[in-house]
Amino acid sequence: MSRPSTMARAGKGVAVALLLVFTLFPAYWMLVSAFDGKAGRGSSFVPAEPTVEHFEFVLTDGGFDVFLRNSLLVALATVLVSSLLALLASVAVARFRFRLRTQVLMLVLVVQMVPLEALVIPLFVQVRNLDLLGTLTGLVVVYVALALPFGIWMLRGFVAAVPVELEEAAYLDGATWGRMFRSILLPLVAPGLVATSIFGFITAWNEFVFAMTLLGGETQNYTVAIGLRSFFGQHSNDWGAIMAASTIITVPVMIFFILVQRRLASGLTAGAVKG
Amino acid sequence: MTSTLSVAAPAGPGQSPGPGGRRPFGKSLLARVRPWMLLTPALLVLAVLLLWPLVRVALFSLQDYGLREIVSGEPNWIGLGNYVEIFTSEQLWAVVLPNTVAFAVLSVAFTVMFGTAVAVLLASLGRVWRTVVSSAIMAAWAMPAVTGTYVWVWIFDADRGVFNHVLQSLGLQDAPVNWFTDRWSFYAIVLLNVVHHGFPFVAITVLAGLLGVPKELLEAAEIDGAGAWRRFFSVVVPQLKQIFAVVIILSTIWDFKVFAQVYLMPGGAGSNREVLNLGVWSYTESFGQNRYGFGSAIAVLLTLLLLGITVAYVRTILKEEEL
Repeated sequence: MSRPSTMARAGKGVAVALLLVFTLFPAYWMLVSAFDGKAGRGSSFVPAEPTVEHFEFVLTDGGFDVFLRNSLLVALATVLVSSLLALLASVAVARFRFRLRTQVLMLVLVVQMVPLEALVIPLFVQVRNLDLLGTLTGLVVVYVALALPFGIWMLRGFVAAVPVELEEAAYLDGATWGRMFRSILLPLVAPGLVATSIFGFITAWNEFVFAMTLLGGETQNYTVAIGLRSFFGQHSNDWGAIMAASTIITVPVMIFFILVQRRLASGLTAGAVKG
Repeated sequence: MTSTLSVAAPAGPGQSPGPGGRRPFGKSLLARVRPWMLLTPALLVLAVLLLWPLVRVALFSLQDYGLREIVSGEPNWIGLGNYVEIFTSEQLWAVVLPNTVAFAVLSVAFTVMFGTAVAVLLASLGRVWRTVVSSAIMAAWAMPAVTGTYVWVWIFDADRGVFNHVLQSLGLQDAPVNWFTDRWSFYAIVLLNVVHHGFPFVAITVLAGLLGVPKELLEAAEIDGAGAWRRFFSVVVPQLKQIFAVVIILSTIWDFKVFAQVYLMPGGAGSNREVLNLGVWSYTESFGQNRYGFGSAIAVLLTLLLLGITVAYVRTILKEEEL
């Protein structure tokens, strides 16, 4: 192929620059406002008065320390329960062939498409009947259900990628199924388990509709996603604080996302290679 | 949780020899019940927390279900009354349906076109720049919907937003404009938000496909005299048909049910009736007006709409591979 002309190279450079600006501007603006003491009073594209006072305010008087603790608790509980259930189920669908197997997989696929708006009304009633409204437990129960289908779907790829020959070798050496599971399968799908956990974590961390509906007025139990709303005033909003809090919410997710991204891609295609 | 299921692994359980038998030595009872033992906890959770609520939302939609019914637990059947009210309401035809459908169509079109363009750009870049740009894209993808929406609201804020500020200092407008009151500018901002958040998935997925297109095909087409556009649409696109189908259908599903991106905008939580979409309408009728039956009926309609799209999705996947 011929070498690209200078014009084409310059065009490409401009395209890359514009793309980077468009892609990164919201995150950049969030950071600028979070670190700017004058956020909301005259806008400049770099912090006019660099300060961390918004963060200090958010984490102390803003009550975000409590919201962060709640979100962490909820997310960790969700991850533990949903990953365990997803692992067991994914082994079943990836390693066994049984009647209704395809139907089970279809079910897992289809329930992912159900809009949360359809679930929020009956689950609100259900959680209310269980007397769990306003509690973190009620939230965890719902989040486990939300994280589970995707977890099964993803782990299934990782489990299928473990060569069956390894399992058979273990059986030939006299291992029971349980032993094989612990010593062969579990270590080999550990990376997949990490990826699934991170996704479960992000699901619980970002979720907004259920947190808003199920927690109601229990401010002390708010998670970060709805805690943000406390900085919106009747007449004016404390944008510096909102952006500082948004930064606190966003940064862990971004780090996790970049960490898990490669794993994820390899997990989803791993089964394909084996064919 | 959205994102990446699409490129779903056609994981090969076909690896196991013979139908059914994992082990060559026949099948004990234990081996036969084991998959079900493994599945039961997950299936129980799905049944109680996803399937049963779906049944219930359908039941609620046939009732005049308000606070009193929630407390007493007594059913109050009214047949298809809620549905009749929805389909005869001005609100649905003039506002909600156009907002939902037109928005979904536009945002899918923009997301897929832009994402594909970015993928093509990425594919033409060298290693270093590709890593830089795709990391930036990942950052946009990772931004939670809630904080992302607040950032866009802040950018377009009427009094102190940077957008108004820039327009004014460029002399393009005299006084700050409130972009959130007008239905069109409101949804233009939602569109920007959703495309910004949604294109990375398309770009990364299509890029994976692009890198898999055999070089020989493209070279052969070039020798035959096909230009760059022709090569793209006649050689690359047909090769990626499967990927495009998945990307389009998934984007459609996500864009039909945008909720937080609308709800968290000023006026988006129901106070501005002009900007309601199906999801927000259902939510505000239920939890704002305590008309849970009516809200359920709207939710059922939204679910049926998405179900139709899901069936299309599953068919596309199944055509190519065994689950």
